[in-house]
Amino acid sequence: MHCAMFEALKISEKSNMKFLKLIALSALCAPLLAFAVDGVAILKKLDRNLEPESYESYRKLINIEPNGNKKEFVLFSVKKGKDQTASVFLQPASDKGRSTLRQGDNMWMYLPSVGKPMRITSLQSITGGVFNNADIMRLDYAQEYDVASVDEADKTYTLHLKAKTAEVAYDKLTMTVDKQLILPVAIEAYASSGMLLKTLHFKDIKDFGAGIKRPAMIETDSPLYKGYKSVMLYSGLKKRDFSDEVFTQGFMPRLEELRK
Amino acid sequence: MSSTLGQGRVALAALSGVLLLGSACVSAEEFSFDASEFAQKTFEFSGFVEQKEEGLKLRSGSPAFKLAYPGEPGRDGLLRSSSTLELSGKANLGDFVLDARAQASLADDALVSSTRKPSVMEGGLRWSASPGLSFDAGKRVQRWGKGYAWSPVAMVERPKDANDPQASREGFVMASGEWTKSLSGGPVSTVSLMGLVVPTDGSMNRDFGQSQDLNPAARLYLLAWDTDIDLMWRAKGARPASFGVDFSRNLSPALEIHGEWARTLDAPRTTVSASGITSSDRVDVDSYLLGLRYLSQSEVTWIAEYYRNGAGYSAQEFDAYYQFLDLALAPGAPAALASQTRSVAQSGYARPNPGRDYLYLKASVSEPFNWVYGAASVSTMVNLNDHSYQITPELSYTGFSNWELRGRLILLAGSARTEFHEKTASQRLEVYARYFF
Repeated sequence: MHCAMFEALKISEKSNMKFLKLIALSALCAPLLAFAVDGVAILKKLDRNLEPESYESYRKLINIEPNGNKKEFVLFSVKKGKDQTASVFLQPASDKGRSTLRQGDNMWMYLPSVGKPMRITSLQSITGGVFNNADIMRLDYAQEYDVASVDEADKTYTLHLKAKTAEVAYDKLTMTVDKQLILPVAIEAYASSGMLLKTLHFKDIKDFGAGIKRPAMIETDSPLYKGYKSVMLYSGLKKRDFSDEVFTQGFMPRLEELRK
Repeated sequence: MSSTLGQGRVALAALSGVLLLGSACVSAEEFSFDASEFAQKTFEFSGFVEQKEEGLKLRSGSPAFKLAYPGEPGRDGLLRSSSTLELSGKANLGDFVLDARAQASLADDALVSSTRKPSVMEGGLRWSASPGLSFDAGKRVQRWGKGYAWSPVAMVERPKDANDPQASREGFVMASGEWTKSLSGGPVSTVSLMGLVVPTDGSMNRDFGQSQDLNPAARLYLLAWDTDIDLMWRAKGARPASFGVDFSRNLSPALEIHGEWARTLDAPRTTVSASGITSSDRVDVDSYLLGLRYLSQSEVTWIAEYYRNGAGYSAQEFDAYYQFLDLALAPGAPAALASQTRSVAQSGYARPNPGRDYLYLKASVSEPFNWVYGAASVSTMVNLNDHSYQITPELSYTGFSNWELRGRLILLAGSARTEFHEKTASQRLEVYARYFF
C-alpha cells in the first residue's frame, strides 16, 4: 500500500515537472506566437486590394524590344468569383475579337477566323513576348498558391509561394509586399527547376475609385527575353457583377459587347 | 585636384540623375492609357487587304491538270498573283447586333484570270435576350467539332481546308437559337443547347442542297468533369440524317486530347471502274477522328490527328479512278467518256481529302531562336492507304503592328496513281502579306 502511494506520488511529481516545462516553453514562445505573421491572411488581403472579387478592367500590354520598337495590345477583362475570368483583345486590329476564357484550370482561346474555342494551356503565349496566358488570365494569388514561408523586414514582407497544382504556370513566386499598403512591390516567378522566368515590378499606385487603390503599371522583364521589357497598364478597373453564363464558351464571341 | 574630381563626379551624377529623370518622364507620357478610348461604339468597321504570290511546279501530264485546264498545252511552272479585300461592319444596338463580313478577290496567272465580286461571307442580326439566351438569323459559319485539320461532325458548314484549317469560310443562311446555363456543385458546370435550320429551296444555300427542306440541326454542349462534350444531330433533308459526338480534355497542363465520331445514315457513295462504269450505293457511314495537342518542354507544340473518312476511297478505288482518267483523257478518247470525268470527279473523288485514312502531324514553335513574334512550323498529311503525302514547312511573322507575313512551301509526293501524286502541282511556294485595319 505504502509502496503504491509512493509510486503514485513519483508519477505525479513527474507529471508536474512535464507540466512546468510545458509552461516554461510556452512562456518562451509566447512573444514569437503573438507576432507570427499570417501569410495566408496577407495574401488574401493583397488579392482584394489589387482587385474586387468580381470586376471589369481595361489593360494595355506593351512589349518593348531592345531597339525601342513597341507592340501594343489592349484587352477588356472580366472576372467573377474565385476562378472565372475572360478577356477579349480590342487592339491591334489584327488581334481584335480574339478572346480567352478561364474556368479554374480549364482555359480556351477563341479566334474570330477559326470561329470556335480551342483548349489552351497556361504556359503558352497568345501575345508573343514576355506575357503568357497565365499573366492575362490570372486568378487570385491565394487561389493558386500556398504560402510556404514569410520573411519580415522593416517595410516589407517577403512571401514565398508554392503553386497548389501543376496546372499553375509558375511553380514558385517570391513576392515582396508593402507592409503598410498590403500591395505587391515585386514578384519573382520561378519554374519548378528553380529557374527565374520573369520579374514583375508593381508601380504607379493610383486611386481607381470605390476604394480601389492599387498599382496601375506592372513592368515585367525576363532573363529568357534579354533586353525586352513588357509593361501592363490598368484603367477603368471597377467592381461589376456578371451572370455566370458570361464565363462560358458560347459567350466568347460576344465578350466585346459587355463594354459600356 | 581631388576636389575638382569630386565636383566633376557630383556634376556627372547630377547630369545622370537629370537624364534618368528625363527618360522616366518620357516613359510616363508614353505609357498613358485611358480606357474611355476603348468604350463600345455604335458602329465599328474593320477588315484586311491581302496580297498573295504563288509559284507552282505543275504536273502537266497528270489527269488533274487536264481536268483543271482542259485544252491547255502542258507547262512546268505557273506564277499566280491574288489580291483579297475583306470588309467587316458591326452595329451595336443594345441587345441587338447587326453585322456583315464581305470579301472580294482578284486572281491572275498565265492560264486563268478570275475576279470574285464582293460577296457576303457572313452577316445577320443577333438578339441577346440575356447572357444565356440568344437568337440569330442570317448567313453564318457554324464550326462544329474539336479536330484541327478535319471535323467529321461538321454537319452544317462548308468543309474546312486541311491545308489551311484556320482560313475563313463562307457561311450558310440559317436561323438559330442558343440557350446556356451554368451549374455549380456537380460534375456538369455548363449546359448549352443550340437549335438551327438551314433552309434550302433550289436557290438558297445551293451548296448545302437543292431540295426544298428546312434542314433542322441541333447541338448539345456539356462541360462535365473538366471535359468539353458535344452531341450533334442533323435531320434528313437536303443532306442525309447524321448524328455524332465530340470531346476535348486536358490530361495535363501540356497535353490535350480530342476526338470526334459521326454516323451519316443512307449516304450516297459513287465509285467508278477503270473502264468508266459508275456504281452508286446508299450506305451508313461512320467517320471519326482522334487527336492530341502537346506542348513540349522545349516549347514545341505538337498536333497529331488520325482521321477515318467513312465515305472515303481505298487505294484500289483510287487506282481504278486514275486508270479511268487516263483512259478518258487520252488523245482520241470518246467525247462521252471525257465529259463523264467531270461528273465522276464531282461525285466525291475531287473532294478535299477523299481518301479513307489520314494522319496529320504538325510541329510548331513560337519565337524560335528568340525570334520574337516569329513562328515556324512543319506539317505533314499522309494518306495511310496509298502512302502518298505532303509536307509543308512554314514561317510567319507578326512583329509589325497589324501586319501578318506568311510563307510556306507545300511538297507533294507519292507513287503513281496515288492521291498526292496525282494533284495538279507537285510543289507550291506561297507567300502573303496581310494588313489589318
